[in-house]
Amino acid sequence: MKEKSISLKNAFLLHIRAMRELHKVTPEYLPTATGTAFVEALVPYVTVYFSARILEELALLRREDVLWNWVIAGLFWIGIFTILNAILKQQEEMLLDDLWGRKDMLFSQKLFDMDFADIDKQETHDLRAQVKQAENWSGWGLMRAPMYYVKTLKNAIGIVSGMILTIGLFTAKVPDAAGDLVVLNHPIFIFILFAIMLLINFVAGSLAAKAAAYWGSVGDDATFGNRLFGAFGFIGRTGARGADIRMYNQQELVSAYWKKNSAFGVDGKIGSLASGPMGLYASLGVGITTVFTGFIYVFTCLKAWGGAFDVGSVTQYVGAVTALSSNIFAIIELKGELKTNASYMERAFEFLDIPNSMYQGSLTTEKRSDRQYEVEFKNVSFKYPGAENWALKNVSMKFKVGSRLAIVGENGSGKTTFIKLLCRLYDPQEGQILLNGIDIRKYNYRDYMDIFSIVFQDFQLLSQPLGTNVAGSNTYDKDKVAKALVDAGFGDRLATMPQGLDTQLYKEFTENGVEVSGGEAQKIAIARALYKDAPFIILDEPTAALDPIAEAEIYSKFNDISGDKTAIYISHRLSSCKFCDEIAVFHDGTVIQMGSHEMLISDENGKYHELWQVQAQYYTESVA
Amino acid sequence: MKEKKKPKYNMLQNIWWMVKIAWKVRVRVLVFVVLTATLEVLYNLTQLYIAPEILKRVEEQVALDELLLTIGIFSIAIFLIVGIKEYIEENAMFPHVDVRSYIIGLIGRKCNMTSYPNNFETEFIKLRERAHLATDGNREATERIWETLTNLLKNIGGFVIYLMILSHLNMVMILLVLATCVIGFFVSLYVDNWKFEHRSEEDKIYAQKIYVRSKAESVTLAKDIRIFGLQNWLNDINTHIHDVYKDFRIRCEKKMLLADLTEVVLSIARNGIAYAYLIRLTLEEGLSVSEFLLYFTAFSTFTMWVTGILQALTKLHQQSLDISCVREFLEYPEKFLFEEGANIPKTEGYELKLENVSFRYPGTGTDTIHNLNLTIQPGEKLAIVGLNGAGKTTLVKLLCGLFDPTEGRVLLNGQDIRKFNRREYYGLFSAVFQEFSILDVTVAENIAQTNENIDLDKVWDCIEKAGLTNAIKELPQGIDTHVGREVYLDGVLFSGGQTQRLMLARALYKDGAILVLDEPTAALDPIAENDIYMKYSDMTAGKTAMFISHRLASTRFCDRIIFVADGGISEEGTHEELLEKNGAYAELFEIQSRYYQEGREF
Repeated sequence: MKEKSISLKNAFLLHIRAMRELHKVTPEYLPTATGTAFVEALVPYVTVYFSARILEELALLRREDVLWNWVIAGLFWIGIFTILNAILKQQEEMLLDDLWGRKDMLFSQKLFDMDFADIDKQETHDLRAQVKQAENWSGWGLMRAPMYYVKTLKNAIGIVSGMILTIGLFTAKVPDAAGDLVVLNHPIFIFILFAIMLLINFVAGSLAAKAAAYWGSVGDDATFGNRLFGAFGFIGRTGARGADIRMYNQQELVSAYWKKNSAFGVDGKIGSLASGPMGLYASLGVGITTVFTGFIYVFTCLKAWGGAFDVGSVTQYVGAVTALSSNIFAIIELKGELKTNASYMERAFEFLDIPNSMYQGSLTTEKRSDRQYEVEFKNVSFKYPGAENWALKNVSMKFKVGSRLAIVGENGSGKTTFIKLLCRLYDPQEGQILLNGIDIRKYNYRDYMDIFSIVFQDFQLLSQPLGTNVAGSNTYDKDKVAKALVDAGFGDRLATMPQGLDTQLYKEFTENGVEVSGGEAQKIAIARALYKDAPFIILDEPTAALDPIAEAEIYSKFNDISGDKTAIYISHRLSSCKFCDEIAVFHDGTVIQMGSHEMLISDENGKYHELWQVQAQYYTESVA
Repeated sequence: MKEKKKPKYNMLQNIWWMVKIAWKVRVRVLVFVVLTATLEVLYNLTQLYIAPEILKRVEEQVALDELLLTIGIFSIAIFLIVGIKEYIEENAMFPHVDVRSYIIGLIGRKCNMTSYPNNFETEFIKLRERAHLATDGNREATERIWETLTNLLKNIGGFVIYLMILSHLNMVMILLVLATCVIGFFVSLYVDNWKFEHRSEEDKIYAQKIYVRSKAESVTLAKDIRIFGLQNWLNDINTHIHDVYKDFRIRCEKKMLLADLTEVVLSIARNGIAYAYLIRLTLEEGLSVSEFLLYFTAFSTFTMWVTGILQALTKLHQQSLDISCVREFLEYPEKFLFEEGANIPKTEGYELKLENVSFRYPGTGTDTIHNLNLTIQPGEKLAIVGLNGAGKTTLVKLLCGLFDPTEGRVLLNGQDIRKFNRREYYGLFSAVFQEFSILDVTVAENIAQTNENIDLDKVWDCIEKAGLTNAIKELPQGIDTHVGREVYLDGVLFSGGQTQRLMLARALYKDGAILVLDEPTAALDPIAENDIYMKYSDMTAGKTAMFISHRLASTRFCDRIIFVADGGISEEGTHEELLEKNGAYAELFEIQSRYYQEGREF
């Protein structure tokens, strides 16, 4: 945790903003919480009031009918308030949990809207992880705002009602007959009593704040401890690492790290603070607040002793002033917490406020029926944010719709970067990418995305119904989805799916989901690309996970199904290139060769020839 | 399997088990339980007596200094009790966490060291998950039990003391109060049970929420989201699951309201009776106002104790079920021999033999490996090839002793491996599997698999052999950089290819007599792949080596190739022999090499 301090005003403003954002997520919460706070704050005073009336009657007049009226009225009103409180409380808790869950959609929506360049940054994820960890650790962050709101409201109501119930304590006069005690009638005592109350609460509050501040000081330690705990405590939870763990007897290493985890144990930083200064401050703080009870007893009892009021009222005044005092204490205490939490909240907002810096054009790509698109890279250079080296340097090339383009090269040669620029996941620092002669930045982003279908090497399917996975939506054209699946070679498997397109994939979401193999998943991903029916279809290393038979099947099929679309293959297996009209060879971020297979293979000093030889040697008899 | 199995251990046994662990790990856990319960009762007593005692003195108009003395004594008592209570409260969590961590350590050890096949048994998986659930947070049974025990003690103490106080009054009154408590308890028990039974429903929704969130926030999916416009779909799924959860909570709420309302009605009845009785005593039998207050407070607090005892027992029962699962998991029977097994004989080379081996995964109807015979000579380089799902990996896992055959035997130099210490047997192998376990420890520790006495020269040597030197040298802290970002925020994220090389370096460091490589080059580009192949003979010098691949090209430098299909060895021989046979291997090779074969024309 950074040691910079946030002013109370800024801390307050941050919490107000959090409340606004959260109010949009679950709008029912705020009114319900407000109602609950009112009722809950009033319940104890209702009880104090009625029992004081009964005691008063018993002490003085002892009228049986009046007594019974007070008892019945008391039971009735306390009952009403308790029932109301129970109903509201349940409702509030339910809505609060609902809010807990739904507020994460603020973060996922932000991730949907963010520039891809920012999503791809590790800092973005570290920030998000910090926000989540602070939340898991002790609810720090956004969700403390509603908690503080309810608390403050309750305390404020408590203070007001406490004051109302206390008025009598000062207005009731000790009769002259009481002698010296008449002095208690002097208004100075109101002042003294309040001064003592404020003093005690102030001292107690600063002690409590001092103790609580220790938690803030170990924030980094605590989140680190939680990460260590999560990583090394539960490595064997799923069994997926099982084989490796045993072959390398990893338990000893795991255990060595696990034992370092003492962040929340007795020997941890916070643990030793708790047994030392933190515990002392906290206990002293809470202890001192009780001292005030003594003062208030002395004052009230002396007045009652002097005859200002009866013993029944003593209970009321003591109860009311004590409650008043503890509410004031709570507000003082909150001040410190508000500041601590503000620093966590800042991180949450830092994430939610990551700006979009990519230029968003407004031109539409006009869904051309003739699908006549031409793409051109003009002296394009690109470097990943924070990287020193160019990932692509001065790349120029041109290709037309309907052609088959292969991009080959070693790992790190810039193949995938090229695709990321083409589909505008990133913008180049230098040069231009043109679609039909116009810089792609000038097109509307969503519109531009519409012309691409890409099967990334690390494509993702969700544990959701098969059909929705293909369509990317809960509502879809069944026939079209089925056709896409058949075209992708998934037809036979589709026929065996228990609920057809409604079959859930994988078991993460529901137990009766169906597991599909890596190859089958790849076919579903291809079907998704086909369903989108975009003019450009791009396959990023489509066969890495497949055995030779499946590989051959996909290759021979894909040529047919891509029809009149432009198909781009990225691969380091050159065998896929033979289908393509044109092959671009990437090396160290530049296109060093471009042409047909025949052309490239004949250049014996070229990179393509080298790559080809390396792979072909195992299949040609000439190399032993 | 029956859903409702009787737990193996009862409540007392489980409390005793926890107490024993606490005694060993942190005695203060137990001290705090007793101390907190005592202080709670004391606090309650001072609260009970403070108002009546002080009021009595006001009523009786005693001397002022006596009044002040009484107030003073009470104030100091409350100050001390509250102060000490707060101090313990501040400190209570830490020893609790220590005890729970200790149990998690035991569970982790069991997970990581248990006989590998246990990982595939439904009963084991279920117990494993339940053991984890019982320990994975501050609110779970293995930590909450201390709170429950404190509550139980506190309430029993309060109950006894208050019974003595109230014994001056009419016994019928006490029975009436008890009756309302018991009725209230049964209603809340009904609600608690309902919630307990629906816990799995809630857990399931919760898991779904986490799943959708992790997907919505995943970097890999972010590309697909943009290209295919999946935002709305994900938002729909997300909203739906939150709606489902809300519905579930509303159902819960109705049940809980029932309990709340019953409680309100009962407390009105209880207070009404108490008022009626005490007012009559005051009016007719001269009970003083302060005594009235004392007894009235005592009545409502008495209720609290009784309800408290009943609730603590219910909680304890539920927690005991969870703790019983933890114990059953820890005691889950082992299939293999470990420390009690025989030592591996020290010899020059090891011959591995599969004798009529069949293997079937638990719960499946067919053999994955069927009646297979195979002998691997010491120092032999063997390639195992076949299509996805042919049983290659299972075969290797049988050889490595991760599984025992359902039928037949695995022999090491002619001796059944079942009699050996299995962990020692694992020591013979340097393996790179497809599913590997990289830890968030330093690069050096990941290679050496230990944090003590690492031979740094050897580590660098293995890094060099695996072709990772440059990548490691570029790291800010070199081989002391942590791998992964899950724990250490300055850790390094390796690419797929680099990770595979790291795993290779680890295998080389271990320097086992038998090297096992399961598709070690899948994530590498052709030149890098070739580079590894070139070093292959150097790496395997003097060792037995097994090489699994579905890329046939890579297997040609092996002494012998076995082609696995349908759970058996369908062909074997050298590459040339297999091509001559013109069987399945040759066909597969033809398909894979087609493009390159044609390439020769150029």
